[in-house]
Amino acid sequence: MTSPVLTARCVHKSYRLGKTEIPVLRGVDLEVQSGEIVALLGASGAGKSTLLHVLGLLDPPSEGEILYDGRSVHGLSIRERARLRHDHTGFVFQFYHLIPELTALQNVLLAGMMTDSVLRYWSRRQEAKKAATALLERVGLGDRLKHRPAELSGGERQRVAIARALLAEPRVILADEPTGNLDSNTAEGVIELMFELQRERDAAFVLVTHDEGLAVRANRIIRLRDGVVVG
Amino acid sequence: MIPAFSPFLALRYLLRRPIMLIGVFGVTFAVWSLLVVDGIFTGFVTEIRADVRRSTPDVLVTDLPHDTSYERLRAVIAADPAVRATAPRLRHQGILQPRPAPRGSSSPTIGTNAVNFEDMTMDSGFALLLGVDPLREPEVTPLGEWLDRSVEVLHAHSITRARRSEVLEDPDPDRRSFLLTADHVEWDMRRIFDLPRPERVEDHRSEWPGMIAGWRRLTSLKLIEQGYPIDLMTASFDVAGDGSAQVNTRRIPMAFGGYFATSHRMFDQSMVLVPIETLRTLLGHDIEDDEAIDIVTDVAVAMQPGLSAGELSAAKSRIRTAVASEIGDECAVIDWREQNSVFLRAIAQEHSMMQFVLFVVMIVAAFVIYATLHMMVVQKWKDIGILAAIGGTRRGIGAVFVFCGLVVGSVGATIGSVLGWLSVHYLNDINDWFHRTTGASLFPRHLFDLPVIPVHLELSWVIQVALGAVLLALLVALLPARKAARMEPVAALSYE
Repeated sequence: MTSPVLTARCVHKSYRLGKTEIPVLRGVDLEVQSGEIVALLGASGAGKSTLLHVLGLLDPPSEGEILYDGRSVHGLSIRERARLRHDHTGFVFQFYHLIPELTALQNVLLAGMMTDSVLRYWSRRQEAKKAATALLERVGLGDRLKHRPAELSGGERQRVAIARALLAEPRVILADEPTGNLDSNTAEGVIELMFELQRERDAAFVLVTHDEGLAVRANRIIRLRDGVVVG
Repeated sequence: MIPAFSPFLALRYLLRRPIMLIGVFGVTFAVWSLLVVDGIFTGFVTEIRADVRRSTPDVLVTDLPHDTSYERLRAVIAADPAVRATAPRLRHQGILQPRPAPRGSSSPTIGTNAVNFEDMTMDSGFALLLGVDPLREPEVTPLGEWLDRSVEVLHAHSITRARRSEVLEDPDPDRRSFLLTADHVEWDMRRIFDLPRPERVEDHRSEWPGMIAGWRRLTSLKLIEQGYPIDLMTASFDVAGDGSAQVNTRRIPMAFGGYFATSHRMFDQSMVLVPIETLRTLLGHDIEDDEAIDIVTDVAVAMQPGLSAGELSAAKSRIRTAVASEIGDECAVIDWREQNSVFLRAIAQEHSMMQFVLFVVMIVAAFVIYATLHMMVVQKWKDIGILAAIGGTRRGIGAVFVFCGLVVGSVGATIGSVLGWLSVHYLNDINDWFHRTTGASLFPRHLFDLPVIPVHLELSWVIQVALGAVLLALLVALLPARKAARMEPVAALSYE
């Protein structure tokens, strides 16, 4: 049996506010299999986004451990964690988080420049550009390559963010309320696209949402309440 | 390894954010001003040092006891293998008074009210008299060049009637040693002033010793015609029979022999060259007296060319020992730098202060870079989180801002260097154009009697300044870069 692509073991996370310790996650256990769509469902403040950040190695757990493909990431250097984050996961945020100075194509290309030196990237720049263009065409933005985020609609921006998340062909896509900032029609289109791409690439999908209607379309729903998995 | 996204993103940030132009402008201005001001200042300093050097013999033996004889010293100084020539000098003070032109005659003096001499204040007749031996002096100082230069300087001040002094051109060494003007010149002056003279000019022999004044005395003397009669008066103290001090004054008619110009302002302003024998006579040493000695206050020495600093120092030491042994007393042997040490130190200090001020300008430019980059880091807080989320390392994120500083510094330093080089290269043209257009002058070169604004800018200095600016920009960029690199990704992503 193959290891889960992503595992959380008894993950605790708390933040200090002055002298007060505020627990956000309290012993979360989670396994995500390859190609699986998991919805993290919970009310605002339940710890969904925090769990996503911990899973994506953006924030270290206070206790517990995270495993990628069955291997613990505990003890990895900051540099190794960055590399792992790049190779293993792709992020999609609620507010798109595109870089406003870059065009749609450049925003996607940027994800391909993270691990290459200047010379190495220069030698494969045409190939990288081709891959980024193909991805943008796949998400329906073939005619928007040179548009900057300010010139794109919300749905288009999120499609750029999805293309960016997929460029490095990650094993897991971590999406934090990806439709939370879109109208229902646009949201539906974006979700359809994400699920299509997930099927095409057989990537695992962890979807943070508080929308029950969206959550039921996942293979599995994990409910969080006050930092604890309740179902 | 610097990841590819760092320079890529840095360039996009810079191209899309005009505020970074302030940093570029700051560095450009700092580099430009440093090159231009230092180029001019170094040019001035180089020129002034050359002027000072021109007005000063290689070495001066001075602080000699009263009534020291030149002949005694000449032999011991000239015996040193490092010495090429010597010349006697006698310093004293005196008052000069040109004779008033007789009524009804056309005045041979000039009016100077049409010339801009607002910076000259030599209205009194007091002068420092430098008694020189006109036959020996050209061997230790470029006296001929001084005379040539005076014509250039006076012509530059629109005094086109000025001619080169002819008193050193007389083929007769006896006449030349007294700086006598031509017989017909003195006869003509005697005629104008109705002074005793033979009937025919052919029968006249010049008698008035000549004097050559620093050109800056032009305002007080108002003389331009060589041969013009001037009275020179000196005074010395004597002890009266009752033990009280008694002032002895002596007066002698002399002839104006022209001007010299070394461009060393103080020298040209205060000095008047007179024949040393004339000055000795004025001081009571009668040349006809068998007991009189050829007194000197200093001996000017020309050294062999190409001496190293060590060889010069050793030669000075030998000369000091030899002279002290000869006169039985201490003396000072100083080279041209030591003779003008206060002046040269003052210039060096001004130069240092100027460089410090310009360095402060550079620091301000660096601070501008720091401020704009710091502001950029704050504004790009969220981008930093995005970069971390998609796999950017801390080093790579920091490098984005280091590249920004590097590009701002490099572009500013390059533009500043090119502009600085061009400004210095075409400075005189710019100054002339500015003067023609506005009537004002950017650089008052007449203060230093300079035909052009002297500039001195070496390529190595340009490279040093440019590299310094880039390095400084890089250093100040490290602080905001460090801040960006240390930012927690989650905190950055949730920043509003």
